Amino acid sequence: MALRELASLEKYLGLKKPNKYSTQGDKKIPVLQNNSPPLVGLVTIACHLVKESNHQELLGDTADSRAVVQQWLEYRLTRLDIYTKEDIKTVLKDLNLYLQDKVFLAGNHVTLADILIYYGLHPIIVDLAVQEKEEYVNVTRWFDHIQHHPGIRHHLPPVVVLRNRIYTSRHR
Amino acid sequence: MKLFVSEGNPHCLKVLAALEVTGVQCGVQTVSHEEKVVPFLSRPALPALLLPSGQYLFSSNAICRYFFEANGQECNNLCNQWLEWETTVLQPALLQTLHMAVLQGKGSEASKVLQSPLNVLDQSLSKGNMSYLTGEAVSVADVVLWGTLHPVLSDSPSASSEHESVRTWFDRVAALHSCQSAAQKVLQGKGLQAMKSYVQKQPAPPSSQCRDAQPCNS
Repeated sequence: MALRELASLEKYLGLKKPNKYSTQGDKKIPVLQNNSPPLVGLVTIACHLVKESNHQELLGDTADSRAVVQQWLEYRLTRLDIYTKEDIKTVLKDLNLYLQDKVFLAGNHVTLADILIYYGLHPIIVDLAVQEKEEYVNVTRWFDHIQHHPGIRHHLPPVVVLRNRIYTSRHR
Repeated sequence: MKLFVSEGNPHCLKVLAALEVTGVQCGVQTVSHEEKVVPFLSRPALPALLLPSGQYLFSSNAICRYFFEANGQECNNLCNQWLEWETTVLQPALLQTLHMAVLQGKGSEASKVLQSPLNVLDQSLSKGNMSYLTGEAVSVADVVLWGTLHPVLSDSPSASSEHESVRTWFDRVAALHSCQSAAQKVLQGKGLQAMKSYVQKQPAPPSSQCRDAQPCNS
């Protein structure tokens, strides 16, 4: 999973030289082999790839937005990679409130936070019923926006998001 | 800019130490564990930092990183790697240890949980042969790992008796004035017991629940 994400990120960044990866332990933590010493961890490697590319803005362009990007990258590792059913509800509820007045997770353009949270949320959003997608309408709107952002979706199938509410009243 | 902390909360150790090490100007307010500071989170999350832009940071590592960057010290690859390891491996192990040691009184069993992460840290420190985790100067990685390990390593020197390099490194960081004053502010000289009310309010870590109800995978 993490390796496919990194491959998609490489394509998005337009990196020409393919990197060599392996995984470590039961949790299949990605390891970037062609770095001396090898780099371990999804977020560490992703930040390294961004620095290698010409897309530094993906890490945020002000001190505040750089911090907010790192914040959501950590959230991805701690809340989206290890979760229970109850956790998912909290995550979706919190993200929904956070995204109420936002187009992107940090600042005014797409960042690495949007990309990695999108990859991490994909398996969760795929399983949501239509009604739940409507309950978390801001998450769904943001998700749909990111999956249509050129070059990000790559290895993932698109998730159908209805733009018009169908459950306007319960007993129709 | 304003930093919100609560007493006896182990995550506040690193942010207070980072604030003082970097000398960043920031007001500090002590609130109760249950105070909802970050408006969009359903569970209280402390420490939290209100940024000049009006946004909130709710993770202690992101806050520490922000203070160091404001002081012109950016996190390099090695530093990022330690922070990621701390978040995904060390913190869960530590919360489990605290839960067992503070609430269940299983101090000796609790220290076993930390053996494997401490082995990793010890090997890396002895191989690297540097004063601190990323070189000869204190970085955000040192402050963050010190803060996480402080509750267990400062209380019982025996917890790291087999990890000589960890002990040498830990004592070096712990001797910094900023770290000492952060520990005093958060724990008030009461050691592990100072964290009791904080640990009680945290959800039980999954693996310790699992251990209580054997067999695990039935």
